[in-house]
This record gives sequence, structure tokens and C-alpha cells, in this order.
Amino acid sequence: MLEIKNLKASINERDILKGLNITIKPGELHAIMGPNGSGKSTLANVLSGKNGYKISGELKYKGENLIEIPVDERAQKGIFLAFQYPTEIPGVNTNNFLKTSLNKIRKARGEKEVDTLSFLKIIKEKSIELGIDEKILSRQLNVGFSGGEKKKNEILQMKILDPNLTILDETDSGLDIDALKTIANGVNSSRDKKKSFLVITHYQRLLNYINPDFVHVLSDGKIVRSGRMELAEELEKTGYKKIN
Amino acid sequence: MLENFKINLKEIDKIKKISRDEKEFRIKNLNYFNKVGFPDKKIEDWKFSDLKGIIYKNFDKLNIKNINSKFKNVDLINDFDHNYITLVNGELNDINFKFEEKKNLKIKSFYNDNFLDRIQDNPLINLNHALSKNGYLLEVEENYRFKKVLVIYNLFTENLRDNILNSRNKIKIGKNSELHTIDLVINKSKHKFINNVYEDIILDNNAVFKNICIQNEKSEGYFHKFSKNTLASKSKYSSFIFPSGLKFNKFDLEFNLEGEESECNLQAASFLGKNDHQEIKTRINHFAPNCKSYQRVKNVLNSDGKGVYQGKIFVKDIAQKTNAYQLSKAMLLSDDSEFDSKPELEIYADDVKCSHGSTSGSIDEDSIYYLMTRGLNRKESVKLLVNGFLNEVIEMIKSNTMRKFVKSKLERHVHGY
Ligand SMILES: Nc1ncnc2c1ncn2[C@@H]1O[C@H](COP(=O)(O)OP(=O)(O)OP(=O)(O)O)[C@@H](O)[C@H]1O
Ligand SMILES: [Mg+2]
Repeated sequence: MLEIKNLKASINERDILKGLNITIKPGELHAIMGPNGSGKSTLANVLSGKNGYKISGELKYKGENLIEIPVDERAQKGIFLAFQYPTEIPGVNTNNFLKTSLNKIRKARGEKEVDTLSFLKIIKEKSIELGIDEKILSRQLNVGFSGGEKKKNEILQMKILDPNLTILDETDSGLDIDALKTIANGVNSSRDKKKSFLVITHYQRLLNYINPDFVHVLSDGKIVRSGRMELAEELEKTGYKKIN
Repeated sequence: MLENFKINLKEIDKIKKISRDEKEFRIKNLNYFNKVGFPDKKIEDWKFSDLKGIIYKNFDKLNIKNINSKFKNVDLINDFDHNYITLVNGELNDINFKFEEKKNLKIKSFYNDNFLDRIQDNPLINLNHALSKNGYLLEVEENYRFKKVLVIYNLFTENLRDNILNSRNKIKIGKNSELHTIDLVINKSKHKFINNVYEDIILDNNAVFKNICIQNEKSEGYFHKFSKNTLASKSKYSSFIFPSGLKFNKFDLEFNLEGEESECNLQAASFLGKNDHQEIKTRINHFAPNCKSYQRVKNVLNSDGKGVYQGKIFVKDIAQKTNAYQLSKAMLLSDDSEFDSKPELEIYADDVKCSHGSTSGSIDEDSIYYLMTRGLNRKESVKLLVNGFLNEVIEMIKSNTMRKFVKSKLERHVHGY
């Protein structure tokens, strides 16, 4: 699904990713942990295609070189990034945005666009599943949403857009215990043999719910350790200091 | 290229059946216009809009002859019931107040009834005073609330070419009465012309006036409108303007809050593109205590579009407890676009709440990135953000029907982006 080889990325003359390797196969869920500032969000941004980075190395998605492909086309090909800090967009109605987005993705997949009625049905179903108050969806996109509401809105989008590769950037941070469970359930119910996940997190708690196949530690722009769930448990006890 | 444009005094002799006072008034104004000419940027009020330069550059000749404007059928709005009047090149043509009690209103063709006006310091007003022969007068009696909105269809005909149209309109709303209007441009013209409007709106005690002005159809017209609005005690005036952007488009709006506890609310949103030059100039005069004024002007500028906002708030010494607010926001989509803003406060009372702010900047790249990660391309993302930016003004329209109507008209604008 995703092959990253010797990936380097810099921005504003600053080297952030310094030769990173990860391979994610279809159906796998990989977790990335790592200290603040180690480059986790940068990796997520680079995977989504954000402009402004100087990039070298190999980045392959389903066998295709990603580096030249713009952000929107990556999304249409099934890559989804749940933001660590979802952007507030004044004036843009959340429901309208969700519908526009869904129809863009559906069109790219060669599927029929959904009309307003069936869209609202989808939304209703998914919001109930995720415990989202539907009222916030008639508000401006992320504007004035609470931290948790923003995160839930990201997962809602994941659910609606049904991507092949989902990158969650600290989606669990700032969630209450119930919300954490709902979101973990949301991820679990989306998992199947074809879909892959890259989950960035600081906490073992989310991983207990979603059972990662692999856990990696990113430090100073490189993967310094990889292992199974036990690695996350070890980190919880010892912290990152002993890892390097 | 036009040069040193002047108008012969004989033009005034051609206006038949006028009193000596009126004739003198017209001559006085024409002389003044001939002396000063079209305003250029040396005049403070015009420093961002060099009208003389623009007119001289774009016109080879100007024709002040009134164009024969026969009645044209207008495609009426189907979205909601409404009364209407039709102005063809400024001339009152069709009148339909089928939803109202006729005894409570008066409508007629009109140009002027007051020849005592002192000479104004805006040459376009002088030009209008000298030559205007068209327009309408609408009077609403006391204690009458219009049942339906009045749509004013402003039609510009195909045969316009190098004409200067001068028209003058007046609306008087009696005590405790209420009127809602929509000004809509319908453009059939193909060539350049100048449209110069003088407007007088007078609200008596407790009167309510709400207006939405939509110039959704672009033309080769060069538009100037001076609007003088007088508010008596406890009257309320709200105006939403959605100008289309033209080669020249200036709204010069004066609000005189003369009675205590009167309120005015002015909001504008525009998308300006290639070759557009638009100015909104306001002057809010707080002449009485306990009045409120609110202004919000939003502009999106694309290509080499140019926008200007000059907003002045004047608070007289006796106008205590004034609450005045003014905000201008501009979003620039291109390096060639330009936005100038000049907010001004002149305050002589000590117990007042006045605030003003002005921001202009390019579109937020993080927002575009976010939208693109959801599959929208750059253009679609920009469009969504632009509509969002302008929607904040539209959302302030209270009536659902009106808000939907304006949205549909305005989104078509941005569509061209
Ligand atoms: N545009 C930029 N210009 C300069 N430095 C940047 C830029 N973006 C990120 N950095 C720096 O790169 C480093 C990695 O940032 P990144 O956001 O990827 O960290 P992170 O691992 O996600 O941290 P956290 O756990 O706090 O979210 C940080 O030191 C950050 O300050
Ligand atoms: Mg981060």
C-alpha cells in the first residue's frame, strides 16, 4: 500500500525528516510514536502532499510514485489525513463542505454523486455512530468547535470518504474516555483486508483499543525502533530517553 | 480620447416647462461642473478613484442627449411575490403595487423640487442637478407597513452608447411606516455609458427602511451614485449592497442620524475582477444622542481588480452615547489586485463607543490545503473560501427568501472566477 524509502524532507532550510523507511501492507495498521518535534506531523503532511517541503527519497502508494501528485489527487486516490489541528474555515458550512468533498471523491472513483437527501441520510447514520451532535454540522467548518468536536469531525470525514490509506495525526489527543472509545470503534469498524492505517499517537490507550500490527518510534526524523504492541507498553514505562 | 469635456449652457434651454428658479439652479450647477469638470485624484474624496482619468481614457465622446427609452418587457423575479417599478435608463416606466393599499402611497416621475440646495463639492452631483430629468418619487404615508417588498428594476437598454444618464430619486417614509426594497440591475446595454444617480431617502420618526441592492448583471456602464439618507428619531435603516464591479463604480453614501435613537446598518460584499474599479465611500453623521451605526464592507479582489473603501464617522458634540462600528475586510487573490481603505473618525462628544478596523490580505493557504486534502482542487477550494468570506455578509439578511435569492445571484458572480 505504502512504501517509504530513505525519505528526507526539509522546510525553511531545516532538515526534519532524515532518511525514513516504512512499508505498510494492505490491511495493516501501523502506529508511530515519538517525542514532540520529532517530525511526525511533517511525515503526515508530506504523505498528504502539502506544498513547501524539499523532498528526496522514495514515496510509493499502490506502486505509484506519489511525489509529483498534488494534494487533491492524492485524496481522490484514497489517501486521507486526519489533522492534528483541523483548520477553522469561516463562512463555509460544514454540511455543504462534506457533501462537496464526498462527491469529488466519489466522482474520482467513478461512482455516482449523491443527492442532498441520501447525503443527509449518510451523515445522520455516521454522526450517531460517532456520537456527534448533528447541530455542529450546520455550523461553519470547525469554527468554534471544541477540541474534541474537531477531532470527531475528522473521523466523520474519514468514515464518509472511506479511504484506502488513513493517516491519523494525534486524533486521540484531547478526547475524553468515551470519545476515545467511539473513535477507536470507528477505526476498528473500518478495518478490513484492503485498508491500511498510519496512526500517530502519544498514548498507549488508543493502541489498546485498536491493536496495531506494528509500532514505530520516530525520533529526530528517523525510525529508531520498530516492534509490536509490546514496544508501546515499554515506552509507556520508560519514556523516549532510553530508546536512543 | 476625450479632452477637456464641457457642456453647453444651451442644453438647459432644451429642458422645457421649468420655473425660473429651477433654471437658475440648473445653470448655477452646470457652471460649476464646467469649471471643475470630472473629479480627479487631486480632490481628496477622489484620491483613490481618478474619475477624470478613467473617463478621458475610455471615452472618445459623451452624449448628453436623453435617449428615447420605450417600455421594455422585464423578466420579473419568480422567487417571491413583489410590487415593482421599472426604470428604463433611469426613467420611470412601469408601476405595479398590486399588493398594497394605494391610498397609503404615492409614486410619480420626478426630478427635483428643491432649488435651494447649496452648491455641493462633488462635481457629479452638480452635473446631476444641472441635467437630471428622470427618476421617481415614492412617498409612503404614516402608519403603513408595506405588505410585500418593492423591487426596483433598473433596466439599461441596448441602444445606449456614450450617453450620460442623470437621474434623481426620492423616497419618503412616513411616521411608523415600513418599506423594503430591492434594487436590481437588468442590463441589455452593449456599449459604454455613464449612469449618475442622486438619491434622497427620508425616514420620519419610527420609520423602517430595508434595502438590498444587487448589480448582478455586468455592463460597460460607469456608475456613480450619491445617496443622502436622513433618519428621524427611532427610525431604522438597513442596506445591503452587492455591487458587481464595473470599470467604474462608486457609491457615495451619506447617512444623517438626525433624530435620537435612530440606527443605520450598512453591509456590502463584492467580488471584483479584471478591469474592475469600485469604491464605497460613506459618511455617517451622528447628529443626535443615542444613535447606532454599523458598517461592514467585504471585498474579494481578483486579477487587476481595484477596490476602495473610504469610511468616515462624524460625531457631533451633543451626540452622546453614540455607538458606531466600522469594519472593512479585503481578500486579495492576485498580486495585481489592489485595495485601499481610509477609515476616519471625527468625534466631538466624549461619551461614545466607536470602533473601526480594516484588514486586507491574501487567501489563507492553510485553509486551501485543508480543503484540498478532502479532494477539492485549488480552484474549487478558493471558490468555497471566497463564497464563505462573502457569505458572512449575506448571512446577516434576516429573511430566508431574500437570503436565498441574494445567494443565488451572487454565487453566479464568483462562478466566473
Ligand atoms: N514550516 C516550518 N519551518 C521551520 N520548522 C518547522 C516547520 N514545520 C515544522 N518545523 C519544525 O520541525 C520539527 C518537527 O515538527 P512536527 O510538527 O513534524 O513535529 P511532531 O513530531 O508532529 O511534534 P508534536 O508531537 O509536538 O506534534 C519541529 O521542531 C518544528 O518546529
Ligand atoms: Mg505533530
